[in-house]
Amino acid sequence: MLARNAAWLALLLIPAAARAQGGPFDIALFNTPQSPSATGQARLVFAPGVMDVAVTADGRARYDARVTIAGLPAPRTLGPYTAYVAWAVTPDLTQWHRLGAVHNGVSMVGTADFNKFLLVITAEASAAPEAHHGPVVLHGTSPSGWLQNFTTHPLFRGVY
Amino acid sequence: MMMRGIAGLGLALALAAAPAAAQQKPPVKPPPKPAMKPLPGDTGMAGMKMGADTGMAGMDMGGDTMQMAMPIPMPKGMIMMPGLRNLLPPVTPFLPGEGVDPGTLPLARPSQLTPMKNGDTLDLTAMLVRRVVKGHTYVMYGYNGESPGPLIRVPQNATIIVKFHNAIDLPTTVHWHGLRQDNRYDGVPGVTQAPVAPGDSFTYKVHFPDAGVYWYHPHVREDIEQAMGLFGNMLVDSPDSNYYSPANAEQALIFDDLLINDDTLIPFGKEAPDFALMGRVGNVLLVNSEPRYSLHVHQGEVVRFYLTNTASSRTFNLSFGGAPIKVVASEVSRFEHEEMTPSVVLAPAQRYVVQVRFPKPGTYALVNAIQAINHFQGEFQAEVDTLGLITVDSTPASPDYARQFAELRTNRAVIADIDKYRPYFDKKPDKTFTLTIRPRALPLATVQFMNVDTAYFAPVEWVDGMPDMNWLSTSKQVKWIIRDDATGKEDMDIDWHVKQGSVIKLRIFNDPKSFHPMQHPIHLHGQRMLVVARDGVRVANLSWKDTVIIPVGSTVDLLIDASNPGAWMLHCHIAEHLGSGMMTVLHVDPR
Ligand SMILES: [Cu+2]
Repeated sequence: MLARNAAWLALLLIPAAARAQGGPFDIALFNTPQSPSATGQARLVFAPGVMDVAVTADGRARYDARVTIAGLPAPRTLGPYTAYVAWAVTPDLTQWHRLGAVHNGVSMVGTADFNKFLLVITAEASAAPEAHHGPVVLHGTSPSGWLQNFTTHPLFRGVY
Repeated sequence: MMMRGIAGLGLALALAAAPAAAQQKPPVKPPPKPAMKPLPGDTGMAGMKMGADTGMAGMDMGGDTMQMAMPIPMPKGMIMMPGLRNLLPPVTPFLPGEGVDPGTLPLARPSQLTPMKNGDTLDLTAMLVRRVVKGHTYVMYGYNGESPGPLIRVPQNATIIVKFHNAIDLPTTVHWHGLRQDNRYDGVPGVTQAPVAPGDSFTYKVHFPDAGVYWYHPHVREDIEQAMGLFGNMLVDSPDSNYYSPANAEQALIFDDLLINDDTLIPFGKEAPDFALMGRVGNVLLVNSEPRYSLHVHQGEVVRFYLTNTASSRTFNLSFGGAPIKVVASEVSRFEHEEMTPSVVLAPAQRYVVQVRFPKPGTYALVNAIQAINHFQGEFQAEVDTLGLITVDSTPASPDYARQFAELRTNRAVIADIDKYRPYFDKKPDKTFTLTIRPRALPLATVQFMNVDTAYFAPVEWVDGMPDMNWLSTSKQVKWIIRDDATGKEDMDIDWHVKQGSVIKLRIFNDPKSFHPMQHPIHLHGQRMLVVARDGVRVANLSWKDTVIIPVGSTVDLLIDASNPGAWMLHCHIAEHLGSGMMTVLHVDPR
């Protein structure tokens, strides 16, 4: 009972502005000390498919993300990097799934099929790296992530 | 029961309505329990019978002494909210056949294949039947004593006469879902006909202009009548024997659910639907009215499944134990391109025609696999319900359609037909609707919870995570709304006229900021439509449809081929949403 009350309290303490703003599809992106001038947002859309909604066989939604970014510096100004790459990352940070390269302006990437995930953008040496190595420049939480508060993780405060 | 061969295939095909052929082998392993079940320990009230002997003072029971299951079953890990425990929905409980001895009623038979030719007449009676589900006997409804009703199979372009008789205890009609036919026989009370009173009759002339899978059901109190068994399939055969790629067998499967607590059906609201927030989501999943489906095939056989969802509210996510699924058609036509899919997402009233190949001997489980949301813990929970088993023996398929199955066809005729409509794809919407809800006088605990639980609503809710709140909401307290953005008018007040022959772009937005956002399967009667864009993204592979899911927060662009004159309903097919007003009329004025 105590745990549930605590969870409710945590929910109420999340600033209203940071919660799902346009429904279950909109992600606000936050910058890090690596990229203080960057701003961005993402809109999830169901991945293309023959059904009305795209899901996996076990019922997880399959989303592509329309990522809109401004103010990212040239990647090389942050180190030995040539591109920015978007990742879908499980909340426990154990699984990173590469969605695709992004840039200032609008980029369509995908597909993410985690129930809850962080949308993380890193600077990388190539546009299609096997794993993430470079610094985080923008990050956000899938709207489903607001079912649980994990926004204070230090990884996304520029410490990693 | 052996089925007739399909022209061009020359094979004996088994349909789901043929239990002797289809169900020879017993299941190899017991199915998992349904994901949703009562938790007596949580509430201490499970199985309690409502009535004068309950000893619960202060309960508003309206003096009714009908025994009532209480409380309703809660999903695993959820408890009934304390503020709701002593409440009942403000309606008189109703179940079919009150006072009728079940022993006097016929035991419902499985659906019988009913082939019909142009000009044939079918006698169809809605009646009380006795159904046994998981060993418990219930008084329910059926057509001609069958559940599902007769499987009507007709050639494309046929017209049949249906002499309908109402032998149930409520007024009713028959709606022929998906057929672009004469408006007079659309079966909508107050729009195309008067309801057929108990004991009365009505003659329908039913025309089948498009090949595919369709279904029939009442258009009166669907939350009761359809939920209690009034539904059946119609298969319309194209004259083209090569219309679908070849299959070794055919099965028509109707997916449905039933809400029970131990041995008791959860009653319905007599004056108004209950479960008005989310619709009634059952805890026993049914295929062709049975909790367990089974099929026996040979190794490598291709089975063509005609899938229909007749549930009040539940959206299914169906797959066949990893066997590859090829989607060939949706509701009113084939797709432009055949396509493989990991699963079939089937909302109420939707249909798909899929072909599934069973490559290896063994057992394949037909499952509904979804991600439920625990609203207290804020977590997703995977749930899998086994609906049936397909047993594959080691006799090789003959003929072997492996090659034809692997080929993904392009349907040139469908593309050519849709080509005529492509110039309209990017036109400005002719009409924009917003889907929302207006609550009034709901229990305080419900309102408080909904106000807090606003962080996230799933685009599609697969299961009812809060059945206590849902049960207590009736259409007296909840108004579901289709709002015309241009005029602000709502539901039946919208005055919408278009000229026959026009091509209408309708944009529908499902407002995520409403009091209780939820997906809506929106159905348009008597016309066909294309889903041309979702959230601004063009849909790549089209088919003509009559029912489309509008997820929470989504905007869907529909192109309506307004070819069929008359007054046609556009409504949510969640029975309780429809019963709470979520409907309007498209008037197609003759040219
Ligand atoms: Cu609805």
